[in-house]
Amino acid sequence: MQTLIDSIIASGAFGAHPPRDIVGAIVIAVMCAVVLLGIAIPFAGIVTWAERRVWARIQSRVGPNRVGPQGFLQWLADGIKHICKEDLIPAEADSHLFKLAPYLVMLAFLLPWAVMPFSSSLILADLNVGILYMTAVTALTVVGVLMAGWSSNDKWSLIGGIRSAAQIVSYEIPAGLSIFPVVLMTGTLSMQGIIKAQGWAPQHWFLLANPFTFIAANILFISALAEGNRTPFDLPEAESELVAGFATEYSGMRYTFFFMAEWGNLFIIGAIMTTLFLGGWQFPHVSQSAVVMNVLQLIVFNVKVLFVVFVAMWIRATLPRVRIDQLMTVCWKYLVPLAFVDMIGTAVWVAIWPDGNRVMGYLMLAAGIVLAVLFIQRVVYYLKRSRMELYFRPGI
Amino acid sequence: MSAAREYLHNIRQTVGTIFEGMAITASHFVRKPYTVQYPDRMPVRVQDTLPFRYRGILEVDLEICTGCLACERACPIDCIVIAMEKDPQTKLLTLSQFDIDIAKCMFCGLCSEPCPTGSIHHTTEFEGADYSLESLIRRFVKDPVIAYKPKKGPETDPRIAPILNRGMRYLDEFAQPGGDKPPGGDKPTEEEGAEESA
Amino acid sequence: MSETTNTFRTEEMSLNMGPQHPSTHGVLRFVVRADGEVMREAIPDVGYLHRSIEKIAEKVGYHGFMPYTDRVDYVCAMFTNQGWGIACEKLGHIEVPRRGEYCRVIAAEFNRLASHLLSVGTMGMDIGAMTPFTHAIREREMINDLIEELCGARLTFNYMRIGGVAWDLPPGWREKAVAYLDHLDPIIDEYNALISFNKIFVERLINIGIITPADAINYNLVGPNLRACGIKWDIRKDIPYSVYPDFDFEVPIGKGEWGTLGDSMDRYMVRMREMKESVKILRQALKQIPPGSVLAKVARNFKPPAGECQVRVESARGDMGWYVVSDGTGYPWRVHVRTGSFAAMGIIQKLSAGLMIADLVALIASLDVIAPEIDR
Repeated sequence: MQTLIDSIIASGAFGAHPPRDIVGAIVIAVMCAVVLLGIAIPFAGIVTWAERRVWARIQSRVGPNRVGPQGFLQWLADGIKHICKEDLIPAEADSHLFKLAPYLVMLAFLLPWAVMPFSSSLILADLNVGILYMTAVTALTVVGVLMAGWSSNDKWSLIGGIRSAAQIVSYEIPAGLSIFPVVLMTGTLSMQGIIKAQGWAPQHWFLLANPFTFIAANILFISALAEGNRTPFDLPEAESELVAGFATEYSGMRYTFFFMAEWGNLFIIGAIMTTLFLGGWQFPHVSQSAVVMNVLQLIVFNVKVLFVVFVAMWIRATLPRVRIDQLMTVCWKYLVPLAFVDMIGTAVWVAIWPDGNRVMGYLMLAAGIVLAVLFIQRVVYYLKRSRMELYFRPGI
Repeated sequence: MSAAREYLHNIRQTVGTIFEGMAITASHFVRKPYTVQYPDRMPVRVQDTLPFRYRGILEVDLEICTGCLACERACPIDCIVIAMEKDPQTKLLTLSQFDIDIAKCMFCGLCSEPCPTGSIHHTTEFEGADYSLESLIRRFVKDPVIAYKPKKGPETDPRIAPILNRGMRYLDEFAQPGGDKPPGGDKPTEEEGAEESA
Repeated sequence: MSETTNTFRTEEMSLNMGPQHPSTHGVLRFVVRADGEVMREAIPDVGYLHRSIEKIAEKVGYHGFMPYTDRVDYVCAMFTNQGWGIACEKLGHIEVPRRGEYCRVIAAEFNRLASHLLSVGTMGMDIGAMTPFTHAIREREMINDLIEELCGARLTFNYMRIGGVAWDLPPGWREKAVAYLDHLDPIIDEYNALISFNKIFVERLINIGIITPADAINYNLVGPNLRACGIKWDIRKDIPYSVYPDFDFEVPIGKGEWGTLGDSMDRYMVRMREMKESVKILRQALKQIPPGSVLAKVARNFKPPAGECQVRVESARGDMGWYVVSDGTGYPWRVHVRTGSFAAMGIIQKLSAGLMIADLVALIASLDVIAPEIDR
């Protein structure tokens, strides 16, 4: 960031001796705008479309396919519709908090983009506490959600808000604990540092480094789903119980903010998973040009993130919702102890093999392939049994 | 010890059942969606795919209406209104009004059952949305028409014969009361059914 | 420490759940007194869907009331049709042709499948899984297609008449029906693997809303809700009507193999098993159906002799009673319908104490209450 500002000043675009602070502020504002309008919000929108299409196929439906090619512009149409809607504030609501809440949720969604490692050079700020920062700011959501639930002055909203607070705060613990194995193995909290410690091939990813990291990856994924209010942990807005949970009283653009943040958070979940366990932007060194490498890395990173997002959608379409006490049971009785065991196990592992165990990587990879084959076998079994018409085209 | 076993059993069961469920949902990615993209993206109109017995919006073929009022009597909600006059000179029944209130109609099919000629029948048309209730009243009589008189033999008038044929075909779908008449429908499989049950 | 707990005061709040709530299956209303997530009590409030159907019967006559019976329980209208038909036939001493009875049973069992599919599908949706619902509805649509071909309507069938059925099976329908049953069998197993045995789903349902056999009898529960408590009572077996004695089928009862006997999971599983039994009955019925007429001769202005009768049929929601009093005229003097959902609503208040709000949704879904059937 510093070098960027220096180079802009040196280029003379702002005159001979511009005030450094103002140039810095302008650069930051422009970059924020680019990230916000160019990446975050379109991504959140496109994910809603993608999720609806994925769901639809799983449910023997078609999904939105009218607006644009294969309904791709559906998210834009929905967004415009929401902006045009009346922004209702209930008479009995605490209007200041009520108005503020969506922005806080949005803030918690936008802050993590600062440390998003898109490629080896494309990162806004490679903080030395990157991953810690990421988990810290995503937990800010709880403030907004609780505020929304409380200020709506609606009992359903209140229950939704309280549920969300309990859920997000609890699941911070397994999420934080399952980051530790990776930190133990790399000795850094920086996003780029963690990615650089992995290789491009699957057996060099932390996901398959040893059994403990594999479990840690699963725990982190489950906790991230819970923090992102995704099924099977979508209790704060459980539509069959709480109507729409904390967002019951919201309408128009404010409502969209909540849901933009929710779907946008999928990218954050995917990015955390990719960075920590799936090798990040790592790509074989095929070109001397930094630009080409960066573009390839960007593509690789996004493909991995989108795969994780797809898995989250797929899970959402498959599983029912847990109850609040079961949610707590899963967290405190299963995930937290497992995460501790994991952490100690990794520590022992690192003590025995400080540079990692290459053979284990290949063994884990082989186990993963066996698992995938078993899975495909089950899929084929169900396809054969149901004798339904096959249809391989993605669109309709 | 049993607590530990239950703990592990729970984890195993959760992972196992989720694995199975995910396999089923994954298999749906290559199955054909069941959605009918009504109304515009269909190979044929929905109305044309509906079975002959479909109970859509009622229609009256005035050419073969005998003016027997059986439908008006059968209707449980009185949505059919028929007015008739007897011409004093020609002694012919003249229908001056035959209204069906589609807004009231509950598509039960009780009116088309007693009709002797199949004049009042359900169509496969179902798109009846309109802006006012008044426009849902179907007025079939534009100018007073003379009621149809069933003939002894087959119908000879080439204009009426196809309509009557259709009407009778519609009536044939209904089950005939009593065991004396052969039942319509399911004929090809009847003997086979008898064999199987014997 | 004990002092702290004593002074720690929580406030009870009363929540209004319904009539417009996503998971109340129509327009039901519950006044929920809850302490946080835990309910003290859920008081059902009925009457939002009252349409005076019993009174209408006194105005429209015996034949004309048949389409109205579809509206008593629009999810399984064949059974209400059948109940009214049998009641009138009993009053008028009419013998239904054997083929007519078979047609009735075939239509009714298909309708039972459709109704149970809707029930288990919405169960999944209330628990939060969207996919099982659409899969169940997909199968139900196929059944509706079959029934549409049979009687021309998908929901309000009006298929049966006093003395039989209005339409015989169309040509080629039996082959289609058998083909559909062959398709449905593996789908039920797939559905079970997708959701019924899912750990989260099982955990959500077991030990929720346990009804003891004694309670079930005292609260007059019927149908799958009663059988889930381990009581083998099925009108089709115990007070046989129509041609049900011809068929070989089991009456599935709750076994409590997941949790406690009589919990929500048992009620759910009884429905799943009943679907299998319905498929069994249908296969036999479609095979054995005799030739002949399907409709007895009944006067257009049907005037049964004065008297009264009580008829019980096993609908998808259990024992449905039709009580008809005739005074010899063309209009019934009094009609009363006894439905399973109304009894099921009664027990909710007792079961709800100590459950969570999320459990109430599961409980309503497991009791399979249908709003129009409660109020009529």
